Amino acid sequence: MTLDRRSFLKVLGSGAPVAALSCRDRDRADELEARGGVAAPRDGDLTWGKAPCRFCGTGCGVEVAVDGGRVVAVRGDEASPVNKGLLCVKGYHLPAFLYGEDRLTQPMRRHPDGREETISWDQALDLIAEKFQGALDRKGPEGVAVYGSGQWTVFDGYAALKWVKGGMGSNNLDPNARLCMASAVMGFVTQFQSDEPMGCYEDFEAGDDFVLWGNNMAEMHPVLFSRILENKRKNPRVRIVDLATRRTPTSDYADLYVEFRPGTDLALANGILHLLIEDGKIDRPFIEENLVFRRGIEDLDEIGYGCFGDQAERYGFKDEATESSLEEMREFLADYTPAKVAEVTGVPAAQIRALAELYGDAGRGTVSLWCMGVNQHVRGTWMNNLINDLHLLTGKIGRPGANPFSLTGQPSACGTAREVGTLSNRLPADMVVMKEEHRRKAEEIWGLPPGTINPKPGFHTMDMFRAFARGDVEAMWVQTTNPWVSLPNLHRFERKPGDGRFLVVSDIYPTPTTAVADLVLPSAAWVEREGVFGNTERRTQQWNRLADPPGEATEDAWQFIEVAKRMGMGHLFPWDGDWHEPMFEEYRSFTLGVGKDLASYQQLKSTRGLRWPVVDGKETRYRYAAGHDPYVEKTEGVHFYKAKGYGERAAVWLRPYHPPAEVPDDEYPLWLTTGRVLEHWHTGSMTRRVSQLHQAVPEAFVELNRADALEMGIQDGDRVRLRSRRGAMELVAQVDGRGQPPRGTVFVPFFDESVKINELTLDAMDNISKEPDFKKCAVRVERLA
Amino acid sequence: MSTRRPKGAPRALTAFAVFGLWSLGAVGCGGDPNEPSVAVPGVAGAEKTAALVRAERRLFDGAPPVIPHENFGAACVSCHDQEGMAVEGVGFSPPSPHAETVGLSAISNCRQCHVFQEAAESWRGNAFAGLRQDLRRGRRLHDLAPPVLPHGVFMRENCVACHSGPAAREAIRTDHPERANCLQCHVEQTATGRFEPDGVS
Repeated sequence: MTLDRRSFLKVLGSGAPVAALSCRDRDRADELEARGGVAAPRDGDLTWGKAPCRFCGTGCGVEVAVDGGRVVAVRGDEASPVNKGLLCVKGYHLPAFLYGEDRLTQPMRRHPDGREETISWDQALDLIAEKFQGALDRKGPEGVAVYGSGQWTVFDGYAALKWVKGGMGSNNLDPNARLCMASAVMGFVTQFQSDEPMGCYEDFEAGDDFVLWGNNMAEMHPVLFSRILENKRKNPRVRIVDLATRRTPTSDYADLYVEFRPGTDLALANGILHLLIEDGKIDRPFIEENLVFRRGIEDLDEIGYGCFGDQAERYGFKDEATESSLEEMREFLADYTPAKVAEVTGVPAAQIRALAELYGDAGRGTVSLWCMGVNQHVRGTWMNNLINDLHLLTGKIGRPGANPFSLTGQPSACGTAREVGTLSNRLPADMVVMKEEHRRKAEEIWGLPPGTINPKPGFHTMDMFRAFARGDVEAMWVQTTNPWVSLPNLHRFERKPGDGRFLVVSDIYPTPTTAVADLVLPSAAWVEREGVFGNTERRTQQWNRLADPPGEATEDAWQFIEVAKRMGMGHLFPWDGDWHEPMFEEYRSFTLGVGKDLASYQQLKSTRGLRWPVVDGKETRYRYAAGHDPYVEKTEGVHFYKAKGYGERAAVWLRPYHPPAEVPDDEYPLWLTTGRVLEHWHTGSMTRRVSQLHQAVPEAFVELNRADALEMGIQDGDRVRLRSRRGAMELVAQVDGRGQPPRGTVFVPFFDESVKINELTLDAMDNISKEPDFKKCAVRVERLA
Repeated sequence: MSTRRPKGAPRALTAFAVFGLWSLGAVGCGGDPNEPSVAVPGVAGAEKTAALVRAERRLFDGAPPVIPHENFGAACVSCHDQEGMAVEGVGFSPPSPHAETVGLSAISNCRQCHVFQEAAESWRGNAFAGLRQDLRRGRRLHDLAPPVLPHGVFMRENCVACHSGPAAREAIRTDHPERANCLQCHVEQTATGRFEPDGVS
């Protein structure tokens, strides 16, 4: 049965949302209801509350209408400074994602023979405690793992952090943000010694030039892109530059479209830096006052790609910094002349010069924007470094309309994964487990004896799943994410329950990840529980529980707390009754006085979010900037006060071009790049259960270049087979759809669990952030007879 | 009124598109104060009104409508301009109600909110029952008072898009479109209980 007929009948049956406008309509509605139809809610009966959107990292404010414990409508919050009333199609259709007919409502145990058994929460929690304790006893702290999410609320992430690091003495805690934002984190950390951007969304109105590095913003951050478009509509001076490996809807709005060969953005950025220095378009007083220069390990053989030879099981490369200088940088960049860069990148020298003029024009505010194109990159940290370098050398940083601004893909990648620090090496507020003083501070706040926290970083995501596949990790808990769709090179991680390891998965719907779990737990989602998210611009947003979760579904944080209690770690969660506010205030104490200051819980409850650092109740729009950041005592300019290791200056890094891990050859002649579409969010487990979104893009496809398609005898709509060294699958070909790859490149979105494109991708990763590169591997397209 | 033929050769219409084109004509052509209606299968005596058709295009009252026609490959604003136009072989193309909305303009990205619909397999069902449009709330103080707006103004700044011209349904059509400043007499009356912050900078 197709959706059309089904939804058609639903609309017409009892409970039909009859729009009553005319007298005749109203009479008809009354008549239908009188015949036993269920009355649909009307505006006057509703309770309205606030929440950030559940989907991307933008953090749009929505008003949520609730009737009888169920969400019945949302509207864009006109008073939200983020979105000013606007939402994207995913946001407008938010309420329906909660009510898919296959919501998980009860804990379910899957036995080795495949039998599924509904069990009670007590049985489920006892089982997890037993399995995790057993793994700890047999294997020690490396034998357990928790894989979390940038969709975790602050409470979920903080509870996980406390239980794993403060309770089990393990650091095997990592989020899916490792697949998403880790390179941006390491970019900020290596240069400013503090994570997250200095700018904010007001840059979209204040800036003149918006340079999008591999970033399809019109589809991935549509509401923020609308702010740029509105600026452009009002101010003809505004220019949008789209640097890309594929034409997208964003390209249609660009004043300049610059197409480079996959992975050569490193060379392009270095080419721009070369011209800036040669042409004297750098800000020397700013450099002398605020910057230091650093250089890392550059040897390709030593670094590798994290997926070949002995790196294929464990990748622990560690960069080492040496001091450098502007003079050395000039020599280092001598190789990156426009002619040579044009040869490597495929970008005409004139366009490289135009980009250098744009960055070098001191009279114009430049905002660089990037997301997955730069982060999911085998040299993603380097690429982050080079973009930040462009702003540092030109002094275009820390003021309205001039900043490097990294966009995030998940609603609390910043608030939870990065700020709470649910990464294998991290603690809250920029602290790391490797530093004794950081461990001591955490132990003190948590009331734990010194030495409780393990100083050895745990597995990063890729090594965590490799270790689980080997059996070195025995017990693993996956929450709020769908790794059996989203991990690269998926065939490596195939498993069946009952293989001697224990996998528990908490989610709201059945997914390919719950399908391989030994225990599946039903979670409450979004406004079915109280929460806090932190968005891309450092804005912390709180919401109350507004609706009822279905069946026995519970809050993710509660699940951790209850297991911790069963493992004798109840002292970590000492609060009676409603623990949300005291837990948040304890977490907040990590952030105060160190430039990461969060607002109080009460202040967050009564506002539409505030951007940290929040000092004396006031938020900060521009970090490090005099007149904005309360930690800066200077009267003008910037002060990179967090970078103690660089003498409170920011570091410019010299980073060379390295080629991608796998490049097309005779056997696999095409680049495969993967990504999202506007209508679906990540692996589609939520958006594919909303009919309007599902029908907008019902299935994944492979975008082909028209000339390539002609040459292969393939037409739009044909089914083709796509094959890489790791697998093959059939897909529908799309030619001249919304995205148009250049010759030699194909694109496949990853939202469709029935065609898991990550069975074909390569698990090569960034040398520093350990973030996988989902954007570049080699494939071939086979025509089906 | 201009007449325009959509650019691009129409592909095979899906069942949805056929339904959408029919209903676009039913709503948009105007001239029939009784609003054409059809029998609803399975519900004795029930007919489908244009208002119901409107509801079917929205997840709930307040959600953006899906696009009820196929993709003609043309820019949306080439037909959905400030006045709207009859499009040969399709029906009347209603004007855009988004005249003043921040971020929405001739260069804006219509399809970030309005999406085409294709027939889809592998649907798993959804039990969402959304807010329905309701005019049972008091609409005017007394018989001679101007009615209040039963909806917000945001995203609906161009009042005449829905309340005047061929696309306007008879029930909500104004008899004084020449009086340009609608909000001078008709004020917004939306739901109470909006979240009120204190002191957001």
